[in-house]
Amino acid sequence: MNPMIGKELRQRMRERRGWLLPTLYLVALGAVVIFFYYFEVTIRRPWDARGLQGSEIGGALFLVLTYAQLSILLLLAPVFSAGSITIEKEQRTLTGLLTSLLTPLEIWWGKFFASSLFLVLLLVSSLPVLSLVFAFGGIGPLQIVLATLTTLFVLATVSSIGLYCSAYFRRSVHATAVTYAAIIVITALSAITFAILMSQWERQRQVRTELRAAQGAPTTTEAATGPITPPLWVRAPLYVNPYFLVTLSFGTAEDWANDGVPSAAVFLVLFLLSFTFAVRQLRRSGEQT
Amino acid sequence: MIGIHEIRKHYDGTAALDGFSLEVKPGELLGLVGPNGAGKTTLIRILATLTRPDAGQATIGGHDVTHEPAAVRAMTGYMPDVPGVYQDLTLEEFLIFFAEAFHLRGAKKRAAVEHALSWSGLGERRKAYVEQLSLGLKQRLVLARTLLHEPKVLLLDEPATGLDPLARIELREQLRSLNGEGVTILVSSHILSDLEDICSRVAFIATGKNVFGEGGTLELKGAEKRTAVSCEIEVLGNVEGVPAALASFGDARLVESKLNVFRVEVGGGPQRAADMLRYLVTNGVTVLRFDPRGPDLEDHYRSLFGSKTP
Repeated sequence: MNPMIGKELRQRMRERRGWLLPTLYLVALGAVVIFFYYFEVTIRRPWDARGLQGSEIGGALFLVLTYAQLSILLLLAPVFSAGSITIEKEQRTLTGLLTSLLTPLEIWWGKFFASSLFLVLLLVSSLPVLSLVFAFGGIGPLQIVLATLTTLFVLATVSSIGLYCSAYFRRSVHATAVTYAAIIVITALSAITFAILMSQWERQRQVRTELRAAQGAPTTTEAATGPITPPLWVRAPLYVNPYFLVTLSFGTAEDWANDGVPSAAVFLVLFLLSFTFAVRQLRRSGEQT
Repeated sequence: MIGIHEIRKHYDGTAALDGFSLEVKPGELLGLVGPNGAGKTTLIRILATLTRPDAGQATIGGHDVTHEPAAVRAMTGYMPDVPGVYQDLTLEEFLIFFAEAFHLRGAKKRAAVEHALSWSGLGERRKAYVEQLSLGLKQRLVLARTLLHEPKVLLLDEPATGLDPLARIELREQLRSLNGEGVTILVSSHILSDLEDICSRVAFIATGKNVFGEGGTLELKGAEKRTAVSCEIEVLGNVEGVPAALASFGDARLVESKLNVFRVEVGGGPQRAADMLRYLVTNGVTVLRFDPRGPDLEDHYRSLFGSKTP
């Protein structure tokens, strides 16, 4: 086994956050379940509580839990990855690694595996909480597995970006800040860009419809107004959005084929690019230490 | 064992190494001396495969440090000026990790770790966390770590920095014993007395160049080779005439003067020093104290780099 993995895991589990973070994470997810159920049954639809379908609550709860889980883990992923190489520079231990027989690839893999394994631990520990949706119905084990695997894939990409930042910068604070900036770009900025493009596209559609109405032509058919689903140039920003990819994982096979595959490909490219640059940076980091 | 030929390295247009050359023979313990910023650390980092030279060639055991870094690392132990340690590992875990990092497995790994623990005298504290060790013991642990894979060459950058006198003495003994086992050692240090005590030769580096020219060094062992004698002369009364009297004596060179004390270097050995004393007295200089001795490393350093202490 790569000696980096054993060392990293040993060090991580000795830190206070090794047990504190999983605890807080599960408390947060539990709070989401309680709040959602209370909100759904008591506040949102109190008149309908008796006739409310369990599967409706189950489906909605699953969605909320998956997004909550992804949000928390997106916040936590840089904590484990972005500081993992910079801490070696700060502690002046990187020279010891670089002058040993460990290759930059082995160092990267040890760091990546250890940080990802901690995220896997969190994901696995949340499975019982996610399984609460089975009590309501509407969601099967396959959907939970697909959502978990997609979340893991997204987190692996974010960890890889974090590791690149960690290899590039000298200080953990800079690497972590830039990784969070990258997360903001792929979540908030991509959603905002999509919203802007979407409104522009809808305005074009409306103008086209109004023109046709003025000419007395039919305005209700798809041929008249253009396609109902937004074109690629509108949807493209969402391909880097983790929430979009996770949502598609439990959508229809057609949705997955149309948008899921390209989105997964974008994440794969991001992963591979950050991996390649991180290893290259590690090769040069003897100059930095 | 270590060959350095016309090595050059620039940082932002400034030359850290400017055509430095040196040869270190197998089994030799060679000191590297120079003022701050002279290029010592850069040179050692190039040899340790951490930094790539801009030009020139450096080899260890016949392996090029730039093109065969893995082969160089396999036979080299490197200890940086500020050795990093994993504070949250035990001593045993720390050594096991590095033994595995040098591809030692099974019985070989266990034997290497046990040897490192006993060699460093840290065997009884194997279960202690590294953070509990003093700086001296951490240095010792890092030195033990560099020896895990039985390197044939040791590159030590300021290994005595921050150590108390006792730890320095222990370090000197450890280096001497390693050298006795045939390990080639290149050590940079500002503590000249330490280098003088353990090294057979010393290379001087300044502004990235070998002060003694290509591959040149100063032989330290073997007093018979020493020809220059450094004398401290304390005079009474008129001191103005002393420099002139020294200048008129052929082989004397005034190195330093403080009030009525003069430090003078005389070529030609002890006999010429005695001649100089006689000459001064004959020329009316009242000598209160005359302290001749062979020049030590500090004198050489002083004469090469001025009166600045290292």
